[in-house]
Amino acid sequence: MTSIAFRRRAQLAVLLGPVSLFLAVFFLGPLAIMIVTSFLAPGLYGGVEWTWYPHNYGRILGFADPMFEDFDPIYIAIFLRSLKIAAMTVLATLLVCYPAAFCISRLSDRWKNFCLFLITLPFFTSLIVRLFIWVLILRPTGLANEVLIGTGIVSRPLDLIYTDGAIILGMVYVFIPFMFMPVYASVEKLDWTLVRASLDLGAGPIRTFLRIILPLTAPGIAGGAVIVFIPALGNFVVPAILGGAKVMMLGNLIEQQFLAARNWPFGSALAMMVMTVMLVLLFIHVVVSGRRGFDPATGH
Amino acid sequence: MKIFATLARGSLIAYTALFFAFIYIPLALIAVYSFNANPVNMMTWTGFTTEWYAQVLGFKTKISENALYLESTSQLVEALWNSLIIATSTTAIATVLGTAIAIAVYRFDFFGRRFYRTIMFMPMLMPDIVLGIALLIFFVNSGINLGLKTIIIGQCTFLISYVFIVVSARLAGMDRTLEHASADLGANEWTTFRKVVFPQLLPGVVGGALLAFIISMDDLVITYFIAGVDVTTLPMFIFAMLRRGIKPEINAIAVMMLTFSFVIASLGLYLRSRQK
Repeated sequence: MTSIAFRRRAQLAVLLGPVSLFLAVFFLGPLAIMIVTSFLAPGLYGGVEWTWYPHNYGRILGFADPMFEDFDPIYIAIFLRSLKIAAMTVLATLLVCYPAAFCISRLSDRWKNFCLFLITLPFFTSLIVRLFIWVLILRPTGLANEVLIGTGIVSRPLDLIYTDGAIILGMVYVFIPFMFMPVYASVEKLDWTLVRASLDLGAGPIRTFLRIILPLTAPGIAGGAVIVFIPALGNFVVPAILGGAKVMMLGNLIEQQFLAARNWPFGSALAMMVMTVMLVLLFIHVVVSGRRGFDPATGH
Repeated sequence: MKIFATLARGSLIAYTALFFAFIYIPLALIAVYSFNANPVNMMTWTGFTTEWYAQVLGFKTKISENALYLESTSQLVEALWNSLIIATSTTAIATVLGTAIAIAVYRFDFFGRRFYRTIMFMPMLMPDIVLGIALLIFFVNSGINLGLKTIIIGQCTFLISYVFIVVSARLAGMDRTLEHASADLGANEWTTFRKVVFPQLLPGVVGGALLAFIISMDDLVITYFIAGVDVTTLPMFIFAMLRRGIKPEINAIAVMMLTFSFVIASLGLYLRSRQK
């Protein structure tokens, strides 16, 4: 018996050993180093000085060391603006996906699977290509303006690109699969007999929606909201392409600290802010959805 | 009441049609306009041409007489080549490691199983910019030169998760009675694995590998931070092009990339969906 148990252990070690080592060194290790870096002082010529320096966070949150530099509210403003844009992205993505999920959940299995396939497919195509299309549509000489001018709705090209709206549109376009899947999972499980009962007992459609349908699909909405909010908050590709130089988000600020300003500790501190928001959201999500265990693949 | 229900149903269907139009019309537009002959404004149709494709593929065209364009084509080929090398290596590594950990988590009972399951979702949930800069700091501090090697390692950290998820979905849906039957009939563990478990697992593994390949080919953010100065991948090349200003040949590149992704991803999703 012991030899079988021993063999199982050896097999397990072979299966787990290399992955554990790989992830410990190249995933957990870098994260730990980033956390340490965020508390170190930036060197004069772009390096890092090994002294305790919590003021990286101070520059963002407003308790900067007055001896060296004043608190600049620009960073907290960028942080809040990123939170706002991410929240609006979540809301817009939900509005786009929610009704469609109801329609698709009532289709026959064949069509259902085909629709799900069509929704997942863009996730695997190039992000940059999908965003580039929106540049062509939204820029001053782009398709949208051409159509608007051609039909006489406006006389001069509108500023469509390089706005908050363009960023949100781009993110919605990119994050649809992230929201749709969890929302769909809970819409499909919805017990329609409860809806019918509510209607039969005299509740109006709005009341039925608010009291029955919405609460029953809330887990999917919450799951989708979390997995859209997290990548939206730290996103730097979408604002870089559709926001131009006008709209700065956390992601662009982090990129700038690493590739242009070469202030790695401050950049790390900014990244830690993104991480903190992510962990807080996940924590709330796990607590609220109970001890059922969190599966990000489905959002439950 | 009946009219209301029909109306509600009709508007829901119309809405869903719009939903799909929103997703796919931009993709269709780019395909159409990639054949537009207008070199200045890509969204004003002036005539049909395949010149941009010929240009990208390196054939001699009227435009390629222009030295500026020639240069960018050779850079493009190099970027494509880099992307292929990276995607092939990362797919091999991530598939082996991701499959191994999926088997361990779903076929063995051990202390820390829940921990492994949770940690496998972390690289996917993590905003990619955070992982990108963490890897950058790590590589620079440990004195490893940035280049192809660091991109391959960096991408593997999150690609393992994707393979893990696809393979574990397959493992979770597998019928274990066959394995028990095989064991009862006297096959040893290795034979059972080889003859019973692995053939059932294979579509999941191949599906996971294809998805890993395609995600690796398309990854921009993490690669962007850990690529160093010498190496450019295909998405980085397009990103740089977009920041400099748009040229019509991007359309042609984009359409070719979309077609390629569609084929590979369709295959991967098809293999993943064949659960039973």
